[in-house]
Amino acid sequence: MSKWNPTINIALAMLLGTSVQARTWTSTDGPKTFEAELKAYDPATGEFTVTLPDGTAMKFNQEKLSAADITFLKEQGKQPGASAAVPHAPDFATQIRPILSTYCFACHGPDEAKRKADLRLDTRAGAIARNEDGEAAVVPGNVASSTMLARLTTSDKDERMPPKAKPGPNAAEQALLRQWIADGAPYTEHWAFVAPRRPANPAVKDTAWAHSDLDRHVLASLEARGLKPQAEAAREALIRRVSLDLTGIPPTLVEIDAFVADRAADAYERVVDRLLASPRYGERLATPWLDAARYADSHGFQQDDERSMWRWRDWVIEAYNADMPFDRFTLLQTAGDLLPDASPETILATGFHRNHRISAEGGIDAEEFRLESVFDRAETTATVWLGLTMNCARCHDHKYDPILQKDFYRFAAYFDSIDESGIRSSARSVAPVVRLPRSANAERTTALAAAVTAAENELATLKSATPPTAAAMLAAAQSSLTAAKKARDAYAREVTEVMVLKDRAKPRETYVLERGQYGHRGERVEAGTPGFLPPLPADAPANRLALARWLVDPANPLTARVQVNRMWEMLFGTGLVVTLENFGGQAEPPSNAALLDWLAVEFREQGWSTKRLLRTIVTSATYRQSAAAPAELIARDPANRLLARGPRFCMTPEMIRDQTLAASGLLVERLGGPAIRPYEPASSWDGGEGSGNLNNYTPATDDGLWRRGVYVIWKRTQPPPSMTTFDAPSREFCSVRRLRTNTPLQALAMFNDVTTSVAARMLAVRIMGEAATPEERLILAMRHVVARRPDANELRILTAGLKRRLARYATDPTAAKTVLAVGNPPPPPTFPPAELAAYAQTCALILNLDEALTRE
Amino acid sequence: MKPFDSFYDSMLRRTFLKRSAGGIGMMALASLLGRDLGAAETVSGGGLPGLPHYLPKAKRVIFMHMAGAPSHIDLFEHKPQLDKLRGTDLPASVRNGQRITGFTSGQKTLPIAPAHWPFKMCGPSAMPISDLLPELQKIAGDLAFVRSMHTDAINHDPGMSFLQSGSQLPGRPALGSWLSYGLGSVNLDLPAFVVLVSRGAGRPQESPVYDRFWASGFLPGEHQGTRFRAGNEPVPFLASPNGVAATDRRDQLDDLVALNRRHEAALRDSEIAARISQYELAFRMQTSVPELLDLSKEPKEVFDLYGPAAQKPGSFAWNCLMARRLAERGVRTIQLSHVGWDHHENVVDQLPRQCAEADRPTAALITDLKRRGLLDDTLVVWGGEFGRTIFTQGGNNGRDHHPRCFTIWMAGGGIKPGTVVGETDDFAYNVVRDPCSVHDLHATILDRMGINHEKLTYLFQGRQFRLTDVSGVPIGGVMA
Repeated sequence: MSKWNPTINIALAMLLGTSVQARTWTSTDGPKTFEAELKAYDPATGEFTVTLPDGTAMKFNQEKLSAADITFLKEQGKQPGASAAVPHAPDFATQIRPILSTYCFACHGPDEAKRKADLRLDTRAGAIARNEDGEAAVVPGNVASSTMLARLTTSDKDERMPPKAKPGPNAAEQALLRQWIADGAPYTEHWAFVAPRRPANPAVKDTAWAHSDLDRHVLASLEARGLKPQAEAAREALIRRVSLDLTGIPPTLVEIDAFVADRAADAYERVVDRLLASPRYGERLATPWLDAARYADSHGFQQDDERSMWRWRDWVIEAYNADMPFDRFTLLQTAGDLLPDASPETILATGFHRNHRISAEGGIDAEEFRLESVFDRAETTATVWLGLTMNCARCHDHKYDPILQKDFYRFAAYFDSIDESGIRSSARSVAPVVRLPRSANAERTTALAAAVTAAENELATLKSATPPTAAAMLAAAQSSLTAAKKARDAYAREVTEVMVLKDRAKPRETYVLERGQYGHRGERVEAGTPGFLPPLPADAPANRLALARWLVDPANPLTARVQVNRMWEMLFGTGLVVTLENFGGQAEPPSNAALLDWLAVEFREQGWSTKRLLRTIVTSATYRQSAAAPAELIARDPANRLLARGPRFCMTPEMIRDQTLAASGLLVERLGGPAIRPYEPASSWDGGEGSGNLNNYTPATDDGLWRRGVYVIWKRTQPPPSMTTFDAPSREFCSVRRLRTNTPLQALAMFNDVTTSVAARMLAVRIMGEAATPEERLILAMRHVVARRPDANELRILTAGLKRRLARYATDPTAAKTVLAVGNPPPPPTFPPAELAAYAQTCALILNLDEALTRE
Repeated sequence: MKPFDSFYDSMLRRTFLKRSAGGIGMMALASLLGRDLGAAETVSGGGLPGLPHYLPKAKRVIFMHMAGAPSHIDLFEHKPQLDKLRGTDLPASVRNGQRITGFTSGQKTLPIAPAHWPFKMCGPSAMPISDLLPELQKIAGDLAFVRSMHTDAINHDPGMSFLQSGSQLPGRPALGSWLSYGLGSVNLDLPAFVVLVSRGAGRPQESPVYDRFWASGFLPGEHQGTRFRAGNEPVPFLASPNGVAATDRRDQLDDLVALNRRHEAALRDSEIAARISQYELAFRMQTSVPELLDLSKEPKEVFDLYGPAAQKPGSFAWNCLMARRLAERGVRTIQLSHVGWDHHENVVDQLPRQCAEADRPTAALITDLKRRGLLDDTLVVWGGEFGRTIFTQGGNNGRDHHPRCFTIWMAGGGIKPGTVVGETDDFAYNVVRDPCSVHDLHATILDRMGINHEKLTYLFQGRQFRLTDVSGVPIGGVMA
């Protein structure tokens, strides 16, 4: 995350002095060293050039170097002898402001209380203002008179800024500042706070490659760096990629074959349209939104009882499936209760803001915890819609963004008048609630009705039977009919309570909390939005409906950008703005600002349609590139920020689970309903005894074992290990970005989870049924999991391994039977255990392939 | 020197990229490569360049969190002059408008209840320690007490969160995560941050502690604490499925590695190399963790020292013994969370039970570390998330939460033995000398580990975050 700090983006090459002596360089892990002289270093890309003792020049990326070497390189960049090639007229928003923000704003920024020397550098007026001595930090056009530069570069410890030997701008950054002042020190607003406009279409040399304006923006940036995009990915790879991305489920063999054989020009587009129309699409899209909404199936805190918010979760899935426009999606979840046409369904949507934790701890101050929920809603809204770290302004004015402490409380005031308590006394939902029939579970209703019909038929058959049925049997049939009817009727009467928003008749008074501390009331504030963003309409009421409309107003510079950036990250692994959660002054500027703005405008102008947005992206040539690329390109752009190759990154745990189940044929595709309990370690909920009603984790005995990851029961204090091991958040608070780690616990989970064992066994059963020879079967196993056929070498490894396992289990039938006995369902009895075990263990390793865990 | 491609390829084989550097990933690599390299000093467990900032006094921490908050009044605050005030109302001037919890805020009176048990003055500084802790009394000369701790929280969840992560709100990395991130690990086969949880007899129904208290927050997930449990499943998913022997797994792994390497050659993504290493480490953990937990080779005198409960997996005594074994293996942060100190009623009954169980293993751990020479570079910290009230809660000798003062102790690497820092007022209610915040405690721990707490930071949401937020000064009085 900190890998891309704002200064690295400055496009600037440093030419080093000639007197740099030869040096021993060490690779990242230490073992590899070589002697060479440093010739040039470009902090923008991390590229550096060295000359070897034999005179050969070589170019590397600093990624390959030990930390000490990187430090050395950065130090070289600061040498006074280093000359910097400064572009004419550096861009304030992307080049100057990040420098000022990093080194100066903490004391000379928006936070008035902490401002030193009465100097602020975040506004031009502040920067050029003259003090009592007639001096100014910045004198436009006059570098020599600008005290800021003098203070940044002086060797006098008492004078030097930043103080206390804190790191300051390096030579390159100083050069930029110098040039900027010489150019007249123009200020522009922070890029993200200016509404996006459709950028001009860039000129590109290669006119054949681009499918759309999206591609032209990418290509222009590649051509500017002398790079070329990769060829389109192989068809198997492409259909796997797009199926996982849009539905979270790998393609079936039929779907793969059809696509590979389809030579029509729009073959790919038709695949995309089919995927977008699948009910599985909503389930896939819901997952990131559930993270953002901190959705869980328990209340959180120590008394972590089960709660019932799944009707809200199903609402999200259905909204995505119906392609509800994002502005409507926003309106309903923020203020569905305040709409003129409010209905139970629109009120249900406001459950978004009741997904926060609710404590039942004895002795807490309910008002303190209620306020905590209010602040949580404000912070969540700011993160999810605006990409603002508004929580930073809870105790003081924001250090980097123009958000006053007062703004935080004004924003929170929108959520302060909910008719609620901050504490609960039971496991049940806490008012306000909406009561809804369990209509999401239509299958259950149908099944219960069918049971009644069956019982009726049975009774009728018995009654008309000759010879006459014994009275006892008739009575038994009668009573089972009665029972079936009772179950059906009871279910029909069942309702679910979902926690939602409802304002009190009389609004609460909201106060600033001094230093953010409960009980320390400051001035009273009215609900409102931050002053630096476009104003609300003059006649806007001070309620959530006005807030929701403001969030999706075309003048709002943030909402559309933040949303398209999240979608981009979902498909490419990294956002155009890396920090999905922060678009403020400390965020790294977008890797392709024009592209981000193009997407944001396009999204809004296409009616906020998420499906259209995704279609635009996944049908682009950019998205369709192969993930394989030349070593030079990968070394130059390890994180693929330039998009000169296809995206490749580890799948989400939900996706891994769904793929494992789909490949084995176990996946049960049914939308919605209460949470499921898959196989998890038996100890998952241990240690929670006596506190809360979720204890002694027991896996389901029904098809809940085989349903999708999005439905897995989420106990906040002990979230499912199969999910958190693969970086799912705890859902205790809003999270819009999952980090991706690579740990041994993931390897253990993948190999040893009961679900993997069962899926491997059922995949073995499947391929043994589908083909006759070991080779054919193993090819099928690979295709079910990674969509492609193994090459000859891979097939050789797989068949040799299979042979060894066949021999092992032939001599140890007990081991074979033991392996096959793990989990449910048991294998069909017709399969010879030794053979099935050998295939199952081979399938298990296929399910563990790096390629299987990666969408590429 | 070879052309770029070969250099890159050799790097691929030999290295990891940044993302896994620092945590278990790097350990795996070092472990894999250690043998190739031959030089022990090049085996590194990750960590940040430039750390430690200065010569560390301690290489590892054992953080004994007494969850629920023990009564400093009964255990460490000898106030004999209060006996004559027993049962009288706490003077308003002492409380001075301070917040009290919902448990007692409705009470008409706040009757004073000094310690229920006698004290002995122990060690060179005559530190009063309750007779409930006879074993601790004996080793007082090894400990440094801080009687002037205070915290911002008055409820358990925020209080524990504050003690573990420096913030009352969830989402910040735990102390052990910061240490893993900053210093890495020296053990190649175990996680850098291990957590052991036990439940005391003092209050069996007490609220548990949860995974979030040792989460890595915004730091990468490999720095999160790994909880080792007693029983068949010490780490989730550790055991291979029934019928899969280690040789079977090795056989699968060999094929898996061969296939992954082929894919790596085609894709040139270093993440694949990282994945291979993690699978290898996982395989080794399947051996190293059961070996760690297997006490069959511990001699009888060890169990005599820790007490018979040390034979019982998951007990506090077993966890204490495990802490020593983890320290021996170089694990960076070992956290014991012992539940059962939240005595809102019947302190007279519950506290002796809780102490009887905890006293001996606690002292045994110090003694055991000391005689093995491990105490010299192991920092041990003992304490709850806050203190308890001098006044009675309810009608049955309860004590409510008290954030204004409480007592903790430290021992081992870089700690001055036999010292006492701070003092409370006549009612053990307010700190009157050398107040120490939770941030100060964290700053002290980091300092002893060779870290300047202001300089171990992580950029998140545009801000450099640190364990000690915006304050914290190492507690000079306890430092050797």
